[in-house]
Amino acid sequence: MSAEIELVATFADEEECVHAVGVLKRNAVAFRVFSPIPSEHLLHAIGRGLSPVRKFVLMGGIAGVLTGLAVTVGTSWEWNLVAGGKPVVSIPPFIIIMFELMVLFGGLSAALSFFLFARLPQFDPIAGYSEKFGADRFGIAVECDEAHSAKIEALMREAGAEEVAHQDPRAQASVAN
Amino acid sequence: MSAHPQASARPIASEIIPGATGVRVPLALVAILVVLTLIGVVGFVVGVVTETEPHAWQAFLVNFLFFFGVAQGGVMISGAFYLTQARWGGPGAYRLAESFYLFIPVAFVLFWVLFFGRAELWPWVTKPVAKNPTWLNTPFFFAREGFALLALTLLDLWFIRTSQRVDVRQWALSNDNIEMPPTAIRRIAPALALTYAAVMSLIAFDLIMSLAPQWKSTLFGAFFFAGAFWSGIVAMALTAVVLRGRLAPGNLFTRDSIMHDLGKFTFAFSVFWAYTLFAQYIVIWYGDIPAETFFLVVRGALIGGPAGYTMYTPWMIPTWTVPLLVWVLPFVVLMGVKPKKTPAFLGTVAFLGLIGMWLERYVLVVPSITPRYVPFNWIELAVTLGFLGIFGLCAIPGMKLTIAAATAPQVLEAAEE
Repeated sequence: MSAEIELVATFADEEECVHAVGVLKRNAVAFRVFSPIPSEHLLHAIGRGLSPVRKFVLMGGIAGVLTGLAVTVGTSWEWNLVAGGKPVVSIPPFIIIMFELMVLFGGLSAALSFFLFARLPQFDPIAGYSEKFGADRFGIAVECDEAHSAKIEALMREAGAEEVAHQDPRAQASVAN
Repeated sequence: MSAHPQASARPIASEIIPGATGVRVPLALVAILVVLTLIGVVGFVVGVVTETEPHAWQAFLVNFLFFFGVAQGGVMISGAFYLTQARWGGPGAYRLAESFYLFIPVAFVLFWVLFFGRAELWPWVTKPVAKNPTWLNTPFFFAREGFALLALTLLDLWFIRTSQRVDVRQWALSNDNIEMPPTAIRRIAPALALTYAAVMSLIAFDLIMSLAPQWKSTLFGAFFFAGAFWSGIVAMALTAVVLRGRLAPGNLFTRDSIMHDLGKFTFAFSVFWAYTLFAQYIVIWYGDIPAETFFLVVRGALIGGPAGYTMYTPWMIPTWTVPLLVWVLPFVVLMGVKPKKTPAFLGTVAFLGLIGMWLERYVLVVPSITPRYVPFNWIELAVTLGFLGIFGLCAIPGMKLTIAAATAPQVLEAAEE
């Protein structure tokens, strides 16, 4: 392999960044995108499918309902509370516990799986990240060998990049513009 | 008029959304609606004159509540759109919600028919309730209902008039700014929401709850207007699905995003309806006071109580069909994105949901009058068809505007994303 280098393009405009993502995808170039805002257009352009978090929320919710059922019915069997002529296991009030535990478990699994899939916490900056991508600029980082870098840089400039910086991918930790 | 400097700077022309002039309604449809109306009138008159049972009157009350709820719910949805500054469907969504508004003034007139059936419907008319004779007596009852309905009807008409003004339509059309809606509509919409809540609660307490004067549930008013709001939503969804295939290709309702939004509405407010239902149910279940539980016992709705409660009653099947159609079915079917965007699924859920809401009104009203059996017969069917006919005829002008808005090139262009 020839020397790897990291190209970091900066975009002032969301549309230009979306356009650049499209161009890079058409040219089969692997890339990372940084966005200062949660952008639906960018997500769509990257082609990332639906988040797997939703499946965990569903599983958490179902687990919550079952836990609520087990806890209420189990404790009622273990300690019979006979009140008002109602059956020991009476479903209507248990629905509330089942519902609340569904919300609790579903919510907690959403939070936990979000951290898991977002790979948080992340203490070291991701290669190519710069503070301006947390402020008002969009960024695209591409790792490539030097032979291709000129072509990729031209593609990104054509798409509207303000600036394309060359970085050594191994010296990323010190990046802070 | 509008004190909107930016709005007046942009070109305002009356042809921004074309009027309904070019829209034709099939003559056969009008004929069918007229025939249905006539069937209803005949059935009602025959029922009143020949039957000893109050079939015609109870069917009249049920259908009044249901169809008034759909029309009024629809107007309230349009009001809610303004309150939330909704522009996801452009003027098309507003016109769709307002499609049935003309039935509201007609319902105000129909309401007075109930005056003549009062002795057959409300028990306190002939046997005054000792506890509360100042509230439940004929003059005060019809005076306050009449006043409340008139106030709401006039506010609705004012709202609709403002909502269809050119500057308001223009605001709904453009999605590329963060402007607030024009001042006039911004003032009427909250007033409409408050009046809707108050008047619909009053209608629920008086017209439905006083059929069984011993029974009370504080949340009943909210339950009734949440149901009316939802019936408006499913009527919108069904209308959109029906129009989708009948209008020019590429009309607003062929958009996936519009179907998705209507599906989300249907899903969300069905859950809200179930929430208000369960909130009342659990309180009655826990309290276990005969003065409250009898309302559920008659309908076969109380389960898990002492042995007598789970007793079978003829009302059990209609009663349990209601949450099945209004909550379980929409919840299960519309949980995913795909079914929401599939017109066949959304349309079926909406259609069954409307039947469920009608059945809900039926189950709330009729068992209080005839608790021991389900009295449904041809007279009730005829009255229902009659209301459907009147409702359909009243929907024609609003529907024309909806069709115009859903096919206008400006709307389609603005709703591109």
